[in-house]
Amino acid sequence: MVLARRKVVYMLLVATLVLMLSPFGWLLISAFKDPSELRAVPIHWWPHHPTLENFHLALTLFDFFGYARNSLTLAGIYSVLITLASAWAGYGFARLSGPGKRIIFGLMLSTMMTPQIITLIPTYLLFSRAGLVNTYVPWVLWGLAGAPYLIFLFRQFFTNMPKELEEAAIIDGCGQIRIFWRIFLPQSWPVIATSLVLSFAWSWGDYISPALLLDDDHTTLAVKMATGYVNEHGTGLYTVVGAGAILYIVPSLVLFLILQRGFVTGTATSGLK
Amino acid sequence: MSTDQLAGPGARAPMRAADARPSSPRARHPRSLRARRAGAFYVFAGPWLLGFLALTVFPLGYALWLSFTNSDGLSPNARYVGLANYREVFTDPDTLASLARTGLFTAITVPLTIAAGLFLAVLLNQPIRARGVFRTMIYLPAVVPPVGAALTFKLIFDRDSGSANGLLDVFGANGLAWLQDPYARWVLITLTVWGCGNVMIISLAGLQDIPAELLDAARVDGASWWQSFTRITLPLLSPVLFFQLVTQIIATLQSFLPLLIAVDPTPKGVAAVPESNRLIMIDVFAQYFSNGRYGYASALLWVLFAFVMAVTFLVFKMSRGVVFYAVDPEQTQTKPRTIGDS
Repeated sequence: MVLARRKVVYMLLVATLVLMLSPFGWLLISAFKDPSELRAVPIHWWPHHPTLENFHLALTLFDFFGYARNSLTLAGIYSVLITLASAWAGYGFARLSGPGKRIIFGLMLSTMMTPQIITLIPTYLLFSRAGLVNTYVPWVLWGLAGAPYLIFLFRQFFTNMPKELEEAAIIDGCGQIRIFWRIFLPQSWPVIATSLVLSFAWSWGDYISPALLLDDDHTTLAVKMATGYVNEHGTGLYTVVGAGAILYIVPSLVLFLILQRGFVTGTATSGLK
Repeated sequence: MSTDQLAGPGARAPMRAADARPSSPRARHPRSLRARRAGAFYVFAGPWLLGFLALTVFPLGYALWLSFTNSDGLSPNARYVGLANYREVFTDPDTLASLARTGLFTAITVPLTIAAGLFLAVLLNQPIRARGVFRTMIYLPAVVPPVGAALTFKLIFDRDSGSANGLLDVFGANGLAWLQDPYARWVLITLTVWGCGNVMIISLAGLQDIPAELLDAARVDGASWWQSFTRITLPLLSPVLFFQLVTQIIATLQSFLPLLIAVDPTPKGVAAVPESNRLIMIDVFAQYFSNGRYGYASALLWVLFAFVMAVTFLVFKMSRGVVFYAVDPEQTQTKPRTIGDS
């Protein structure tokens, strides 16, 4: 009985695993196909003449590494800043108190539910008037402001930490900033990992903001990927797209795999209760 | 004064702490200590608050003003046109169709995504070997950036070279033009549900919070797996599911994925989005990029915003009596007001 149930569980697991991962499989297969066998009839499930040419083209049709550097710079600045800023604000909401705190906290939670998209057009107009289009300053500003979702995660985590931690420090004459920096922040690595993965993924995957605010030279891989792999007639080069997509996805996967242990604990311990 | 009242217990807490330690030098200045605490709170919450005012509140107001003008973003003499933009939104059959389509798309994908996420979470919460590996692998699609996911699905569902048609061919069926009407909507729905990993992770965290004693007790009492799932697990998980419902609805209403699966996600390519996938964001993009109608696009976004708010309000209303809190939510809300309680 129990054994039979376990069997069912494993079968379901393997089935979902296949279902969830098969798109990656097709992506890989396509990337190694010669363009001529892409449209073979009947379909070639396996490349008959595996080639690395697609990867070569993916890297050279446009300055892949240049755009990757743009994306990396942007996502790096953004994720580090937003993680620090969110931890900073989260500490305030978890451990300190001041007039109006409840209102401010409620306000913050409700912005989690406000569609950010609505600020898209005015933000573009404002940044363009301020001469910030084609710079990474908007991402610095967005990063410094923190994100409600991440602030909430940090707040949940900090709220659950024992009071004794800060009491000893206060007796030793530590200020709040030092308590935050020296005691609370180093303890919160699972949330930091979660926050870094999430914000890096947001920025690395974001299409709209760079499409709006950055021109063709300054834009990110996400934008270039979507439009760059075409031949001189404007037709999409599918095998190259496959290779490019793999190269584009890899950094987020690697970051996730490195930090994933912390990621799961972070989400679990700061739980959305 | 009113703000001070609202801070209530929080503001008084330092005094209590000071009373407990009369020898502390700070006890002699409870007032200044309170001020310092409040100051410290604003030092920490201040950056977010400033960013919120500058990057959300102000643009929101600006967007509202824009929606009453014929602004094109360039010419300085944008004129106030009253409700003309809104009148156009509500009389343009194409826009209304997009709105309806967006609503339908949300109504289909959100429950599907949450159900898929819950199913996977329950599955991955079983005592199985190599659980971590399974969790990581099944979560992977959620890490793929939207553009990467869209390109991947374009390869799968390509008419001539995609594996979807290859599979149909194996079974002797004719290939379909998946990326065009009327099938394009199924590709979009599949793509959206495929990314259910984030929902799954949150459900999984919720499942792990359910006390094992409760489930053990139910088993001792002879409850079947299904009984304890529907009577214990689901009710205890309902706040988490509710949170996901709200955030997923909001995110899905703003979805612009169809733009990325379209042949060429550029201003020109907006026109290439198959009609069955023309969600409201596509109209916003078309008006904004191709026609330069900033005022009208802003009005569209405000209508979407109102739509989102109305739906969220409705969900909140309907959730009463369905969402079950193990701890009285009133109590959890007062908790953060006291400093450093543990």
